[in-house]
Amino acid sequence: MTQNNYDAIIIGGGHNGLVAAAYLARAGKKVVVLERRHMVGGATITEEIIPGFKFTEFSYVVSLLRPEIIRDLKLPQNGLKILPLPSTFTPMDNGDYIAGWDDHDTTRREIYRHSPKDAEAYDEYGRRMARIAKAIKPILSILPPDPTSLSPKDLIGLLKLGQFAASLTEKELYGLAKIMTQSAADMLEEWFETDALLGTKSASGIIGTFLGPRSPSTAYVLLHHYMGEIDGAFRAWGFAKGGTGGIAESIASSARMFGAEIRVNANVQQVIVKGGRAVGVALENGDEIYAKAVLSSADPFVTFLKLVDQKYLPDELVHSIQKFRTRGSSGKVNIALSELPRFTALPDEHVLHRGAVSISPSIDYIERAYDDAKYGRFAKEPYVDMIFPSMIDPDMAPPGKHVMSCFVQYAPYDIEGGWDDAKREAFGESVIATIERYAPNIRRAIIGKQVITPVDIEAITGITGGNIFHGELLLHQLFFMRPATKWSGFRTPINGYYLAGSGAHPGGGIMGAPGKFAAELAMKDGI
Amino acid sequence: MLQLKNTPFHERTSALCQPQNWRKWAGYFVVGSYEHTIDREYWAIRNSAALIDVTPLMKYIIKGPDAARLLDRVTTRNIQKMSVGQVYYTGWCDDEGKMIDDGTVARLDETTFRLTAAEPNLRWLTMNAVGLDVQFEDQTDRVASLSLQGPSSRSVLKRVCESDLEGLKYFRLMKNKLGGAEVTISRTGYTGDLGYEIWMDAKDAIKVWDALMEAGQDYGITPVGILALDMARVEAGLFMLDVDYTSAGHAWIESQKSSPFELGLDWTVALDKPGYFVGRKALEREKKEGSAWKLVGIEIDWVGMEKLYAEVGMPPQIPGTAIRASMPILVGNVQVGYASTASWSPLLKKYIALAHLQKPYYELGTDVRMEITVEHQRKHAPAKVVKLPFYEPEWKKK
Amino acid sequence: MNSYDTIIIGAGHNGLVAAAYLAKKGKKVLVLERRDIVGGQVVTESFGDGFSVDSLHAGGTLRPDIIKDLKLASFGLGVDSIRKPFISLQADSDPLILDADPAKAAESIKRFSEKDAAAWPDFIAFMEKTSVFIHAANETIMPRLPRNFSITEGYGLAELGLDLRLMGGTDMMRIIRGIPMTADEFVDEWFESDVVKAAVASLGIHGLTLGVFGAGTGYALMHNWANRGGLSHLSVEGGIGKISEALAGAAKSFGGEIHTNAEVKQILIKDMRATGVVLSNGEEIAASNVISAADPKHTFLSLVGAMELPPEFVWNVQSIKMRGSVAKVHLLTDGKHGIPEGTVALAPSIKYLEKAYDAAKYHGISENPYLEVTTSGEVVSIHFQFAAYKLKDGDWKSEGAKVEKIAIDTLAEYFPNLKSSILNKKTLTPLDLEQTYGLTEGDLNHGQLMLDQFMFMRPIPGWSNHKTPIDNLYLCGSGVHGGGGVSGASGRNVVKVLK
Repeated sequence: MTQNNYDAIIIGGGHNGLVAAAYLARAGKKVVVLERRHMVGGATITEEIIPGFKFTEFSYVVSLLRPEIIRDLKLPQNGLKILPLPSTFTPMDNGDYIAGWDDHDTTRREIYRHSPKDAEAYDEYGRRMARIAKAIKPILSILPPDPTSLSPKDLIGLLKLGQFAASLTEKELYGLAKIMTQSAADMLEEWFETDALLGTKSASGIIGTFLGPRSPSTAYVLLHHYMGEIDGAFRAWGFAKGGTGGIAESIASSARMFGAEIRVNANVQQVIVKGGRAVGVALENGDEIYAKAVLSSADPFVTFLKLVDQKYLPDELVHSIQKFRTRGSSGKVNIALSELPRFTALPDEHVLHRGAVSISPSIDYIERAYDDAKYGRFAKEPYVDMIFPSMIDPDMAPPGKHVMSCFVQYAPYDIEGGWDDAKREAFGESVIATIERYAPNIRRAIIGKQVITPVDIEAITGITGGNIFHGELLLHQLFFMRPATKWSGFRTPINGYYLAGSGAHPGGGIMGAPGKFAAELAMKDGI
Repeated sequence: MLQLKNTPFHERTSALCQPQNWRKWAGYFVVGSYEHTIDREYWAIRNSAALIDVTPLMKYIIKGPDAARLLDRVTTRNIQKMSVGQVYYTGWCDDEGKMIDDGTVARLDETTFRLTAAEPNLRWLTMNAVGLDVQFEDQTDRVASLSLQGPSSRSVLKRVCESDLEGLKYFRLMKNKLGGAEVTISRTGYTGDLGYEIWMDAKDAIKVWDALMEAGQDYGITPVGILALDMARVEAGLFMLDVDYTSAGHAWIESQKSSPFELGLDWTVALDKPGYFVGRKALEREKKEGSAWKLVGIEIDWVGMEKLYAEVGMPPQIPGTAIRASMPILVGNVQVGYASTASWSPLLKKYIALAHLQKPYYELGTDVRMEITVEHQRKHAPAKVVKLPFYEPEWKKK
Repeated sequence: MNSYDTIIIGAGHNGLVAAAYLAKKGKKVLVLERRDIVGGQVVTESFGDGFSVDSLHAGGTLRPDIIKDLKLASFGLGVDSIRKPFISLQADSDPLILDADPAKAAESIKRFSEKDAAAWPDFIAFMEKTSVFIHAANETIMPRLPRNFSITEGYGLAELGLDLRLMGGTDMMRIIRGIPMTADEFVDEWFESDVVKAAVASLGIHGLTLGVFGAGTGYALMHNWANRGGLSHLSVEGGIGKISEALAGAAKSFGGEIHTNAEVKQILIKDMRATGVVLSNGEEIAASNVISAADPKHTFLSLVGAMELPPEFVWNVQSIKMRGSVAKVHLLTDGKHGIPEGTVALAPSIKYLEKAYDAAKYHGISENPYLEVTTSGEVVSIHFQFAAYKLKDGDWKSEGAKVEKIAIDTLAEYFPNLKSSILNKKTLTPLDLEQTYGLTEGDLNHGQLMLDQFMFMRPIPGWSNHKTPIDNLYLCGSGVHGGGGVSGASGRNVVKVLK
């Protein structure tokens, strides 16, 4: 069966694919989204794994979703509500805790309890990070130029970049340069002295990377996680109503509203290339669908090496994609609870359950977890970032019961001897044992759990290596080098074929920018 | 545990605060006003004795052989020249000569100083103390402070203080005993009137409060919130961090920052002191080249205001508190600056404002116009640049 | 009181290069050296009868233009023209021998991977290009960014940009991408064999406190390769101290003065301007300019003093990462140690190197260290990594013996005759590096060669152009851009900046 009346085919119904589809449909294009699974969302899904308990299976919080996308695609009218996560709570090994709140003065007071020096450093640190985030923000919306090219387009791009650099103050520029290159630990240790504060802050530098807090260049990732603050949203992190699946559903709903077609259980086997141009796709079931353009929101490895024949691509690109680092390093443990965990440090306080709870007592704690991972083991004492979606959105669990989402690092994709059921169970156990040290009632509160390793992420979502960013946020995999030099502009060597996923600039997280950029570029190219 | 702090006077102030008008100040709750209107509180400052809880003011003890060297490096004043028992008002700058904060330095003894500040400054002090033999103690929580301001303040204090404070000169301090508690009293304040600030251990706070309230009964002592204080300080021509200027540490952009010269603090910048101090190079340059801006006082011409309101058939409408908002100031049709705080002065019967004006419009006597909104319409009221302070009673320094 | 045009603090190779160039220009120059010999890190010393060693660096070459300008050959500097091989020891097989001749090296690589053997000549050609770039970059004085640089400074930078572009798109991109890479990623672009990868990647962590999984060790690999002129050391005839002797000779011949046993205690400052120095014996010497070849931390925090400097600047100086983790173990043997000539490395696998670094990360000493060994007749010199300057347990008064034992035991597994051949030993701990050689925290590079501490961020952002907040005070040590290694670039560059 063939169909050929589409303007664009979008491969993959993750948030970026859906954003691309919605933008195209909004412009009046006839679009079809092809999703391999039975549901849309990709890594941005909520599933009822245990009856009555809804798990935000993979990604669990949102900070980077571009406000203009929310506005353009009318996402609030399509059900999107991003609810605040007001606090971060870190239990400490000495039985105390340290917390951060959305009120500045309260946080300062709380940090002051541990270290007056840190309390003040926290003020200035926050301001500096905000300034650097402000400085770097324009880069997110610049299409990266190719510095080796002498074409007018790239030269103009370079000039724009130069203008941008010149618009920064000396301090901003140096701040930016330092933050791009330092380790999260080195940067934070210039400011703070309280171990648990250092641990918690450094943790956001390593989320989704295969690096430890002492690895140079992790400070950048920390900034990536700061960006939300200056986006007019003023809150770093939020939790979407209905879990992150709520985001995907709202974008899908928006896309449909604009007239896009979304097909699930439609596994694209190959992109059909004719005369150097992508003209359609072939599905696993033998169907062929034709269109003027094909946008892949799959990761670069799948997009370039699996969906198209390598003969259409320059050797250099093939080499680069083969070397593109997509080592998954994190896992998820989603737990259905009969009661909330009681943290020894603050047993009667339930306000903290509305925010994040972070097991990150020190930088060295996380660094040692990384040491496990770099030699092919899951962390015995992992960094865990927990939230309780049912405390923010009561619909996530039956009344009186709760769900808990634990993001865990490190769990390397390439584990010694490979992942199996026993190892998955042991991994889940290490997470529960870790939490138990701070909240002894956790074990008896467990009704059921789901343990997800990077191999599971790959199997379920199709992301190579199970890397949540479609490719690690390493310096040489950013900007004009993401995913490969000369091919950072969403276009590919095949005309009409676009990369629209997180593997393209500006990168991962539930941001939606790659999908939007790719859609706009495809339209500019005249589809 | 997860809340803002109350000051050690909370037990008393909360009982008296009728309108539940609380304000956040540096991580504490303090009373905005004790009554539903602030007139009585304002007049206590100007006519009798006002008792103001100023505990949230940051208080640092700086101690050690190098304490004076440190403060000499950090602030713009010549601290080496300061005698024991003296208090200096000063600003301090970043190395680009832009103001970070301002406050008072008190020399408690040869090697001990107390620095007050609007914002936390411990980090800045520590950064500047590398290689120096000096210790810091943040006394903000441990030391409570009350400001007793107004023409009768001396009489009230004389009644309760063990040692005589008749000889206590303007910007000097002394140790004393009050209500059975050890206190330090400095002749300082934020009202431009006769006034004192009383520093005590937090545990003695209630004792001191009660003693003062009792002693002041016959002098019309009145607990005063920070809203009335805000009006008085505008009359006194005193500016406020984050309202009238932005700390160089907080500013998003360069143009938000101010130098001490731009704030009219020329008299506090001791360029004649020897050696490096923070901001020296930039301040020397600015001194030579002149400042682009200046903080000045402006008086809005009431008749002109009346006219603008009369056009729509109304009498002038201005709020009974100081207005902390940015109001454009024009000469002709060109904006030459902005007012950062404006206030009706109940005493002077004038509408006055602190304004930042560009060169050369900051010269005394310049005619300018300030934007006001009359019935949803932008109007420009005539105003004039005047000398600060707007009000300075002869007894302030006597 | 004597008065000079320029006083140079420290007679290391950079200080001497600066002195020689200034003296050659007719300036009245005085070099003040704390120790009784000149050379700083570039010294050959005797630790006993017949036990003469290159204390810290097994080899090195000054930049050819410096050798030529200063006519160093006429002052006794000869360079061993034959580059000996780089030998990577293997536990279960014969070592990998990477000869300076790419064809020969490929022969040895073949035993581990045919593919890598085929890639080797291309890799060497690429590395030669990177060396050209690194030298060009080190020759360029890094201006302050972005608006504060003058046209002449900007010109140098533009020229560097042009150099890079002229290499052609592919190589340029490879270099740009290589800079932030880990050494592991860098070699992974070329090779498949862990043995070959590790041998090359070891250069990326040599002298650094980072592992091969640390971002930026790709840059360090290129940097060290450029400074060595290849993978293996190029040793100096008669010992590396000859370089310093030749430089001192040249400086003196042009009229420069060099005082040894003259420790500078303080730089004199009046009205934010350097006016001279005070020696530890109290003597004051005046000069119009003062150049410090000491490391930036020592220069600013000890010699200048924080009180004279802006707070933000002080904070940045405090934040300079020194953190040395190199120890040296020198052995005098009877000659039957069995170690071949060349640069012998114990860097058998990528993970081995990374694990060696883990110890330093937690302030310890590697049980299974990365070693680089050179021999000179009876003398065996072992470069030991990692031995953290700041130890969590114990201190360097006692732990030197531990390093010595680990080094010898480890090496003896490959060379069974080593132990019985030893006649005398001398171990230099990171603390010795600090106390004897004046290297803060024992950091050979005067500040780690890390991404956030190179180019315009070396030694700290905004001060990469040899200038300091103190007028008439300049830096010329390894801690400034151009430094790190024995090229002399930093000493050469400061002369161009001086008024």
